[in-house]
Amino acid sequence: MSSSIDDTRLIICNEEEVQGALVGFKCSDCNVVVFGPATFCQSCTSDNLITITFDSVGSLYSYTEVKVPPHGWPGEVPYILAEVELPEGPHVLAELIDIHHEDIQIGMALKLALIPVEYGTTGSTKIVYKWRPFQTSELN
Amino acid sequence: MKNLKPGREVVVAGVGLHPFGRFRDKPLANLALDSVIAALKDAAVAWKDIQVAYFGHVYYEGMSFGETSLSKLGLTGIPIINVENACSSGSTAFWQAYWGISSGVFDIALAFGAEKVPGGPVSVTSEDSPDRYIGGDHMMAGYALRSRRYMEETGATPAALAQVTVKARQNASLNPYAHRKDTYTIEEVLNSRMIADPLTLFQCCPTSEGASAAVLCAKEALTSYHIDPKRSVNVVAAALTSGSYNGHGSDHSAFSPYRTEPAALQAYEMSGLGPEDVDLVQVHDAATIGELQQLEALHLIPYGEAWAATIEGRTSLNGDIPTNTDGGLLAMGHPFGATGVRMIHETVTQLRNEAGDRQVPNARVGVAECSGAGDVTTVHILTK
Repeated sequence: MSSSIDDTRLIICNEEEVQGALVGFKCSDCNVVVFGPATFCQSCTSDNLITITFDSVGSLYSYTEVKVPPHGWPGEVPYILAEVELPEGPHVLAELIDIHHEDIQIGMALKLALIPVEYGTTGSTKIVYKWRPFQTSELN
Repeated sequence: MKNLKPGREVVVAGVGLHPFGRFRDKPLANLALDSVIAALKDAAVAWKDIQVAYFGHVYYEGMSFGETSLSKLGLTGIPIINVENACSSGSTAFWQAYWGISSGVFDIALAFGAEKVPGGPVSVTSEDSPDRYIGGDHMMAGYALRSRRYMEETGATPAALAQVTVKARQNASLNPYAHRKDTYTIEEVLNSRMIADPLTLFQCCPTSEGASAAVLCAKEALTSYHIDPKRSVNVVAAALTSGSYNGHGSDHSAFSPYRTEPAALQAYEMSGLGPEDVDLVQVHDAATIGELQQLEALHLIPYGEAWAATIEGRTSLNGDIPTNTDGGLLAMGHPFGATGVRMIHETVTQLRNEAGDRQVPNARVGVAECSGAGDVTTVHILTK
């Protein structure tokens, strides 16, 4: 059984089938939406926040193929880091998988992918959010 | 945003720099002390005259490192403040020294910074952060995302980005204090090892070791300390801002006005000067894209045009907006705490007409802009 790498950003609703969603807050006073943890609104400082879950499909805002990874990166090298704009506004950085570098296009639709990864040195796993190409056939 | 109202006029009376590079056998405190002693000598001021000291640094070197470094000069009992504000730590120390004097609390102050940054990619979060598993905590990958978006929206070419490094290395080749003095062609920059595309190794600043220092004084107190007013340089604006909400959270957009513009506009208003008055500028070029974005956010070049201006040579020593005249972060290297005051050192050196082979002719107004994590931005304007 795996848990979210960070339950302030990703909630897992069904651990057996690994289903979940990105989470954040909407400010009831100024309507600004933020991804991830918040106690006060980043824009107007109100604490009148409502928890929301985000759409699982966003569009590619920018990307880079990382050839020299940060210290402690547990994945493959190189990897593609994608910045995805959610329909609700926030941008979310995560690895882009299941695509060839030459097929990447800014603006393309990407879908959330939940992938178990080995966490720390204890052999436990955590579920990490990534992005993968969104197939229009997935609409049905 | 609070309107900045300077009290007394403040000048830089002296500057000092320890060369940037690798000095593995020399303790950090000695780097810092060398720069401080150089600044005191340059100002012709005794250590016992300094009334307050601000020390910019980032990596933990032990508690109260500013105090333990300066104690070697003698225990004078003055307030010594350690400042951590990411890559803007040194410039924040300078900002505090400015306001300490301008407000009338102190007559004469020391601002200095020193750092030994290990090699390899720089991360912002701690090692157990989830971001280490998500892959986004990587300074240069962040700059790469900005580069891609900038190229997409402006039509900038990889060669234009590379030209920023070519120019930086040319300036550094004329500067004995620089970490990297070899010059390169655009092709050599583009063919260096890929870090995070489109950024190659030579488009990312080296993490380095170094130290820098400045002595600031109230203009009206110069004669009390027998400081030569002819060599002093006026500080006419000192602005510092942290992040404001950009609407997206994590954001690597082509243009980031929310990041630098607030501090720039404050500085212009405070000085009564505008971008058209600026003769030379030091900006935070941790990666090539950084220089382009900062020049635009400072309103020195219209948004989307800095890459073309760079290709045209406008940011070179003989251009109309000489930028990072000492080599900038790209060639000086980036010992975090030392970088901000290093920019002040170069600006003062240029305005005094003492920059030798890299001297910008008739330089009278210089801007120093330094940025750090947390969207901390400082903008200082100096005049002669």
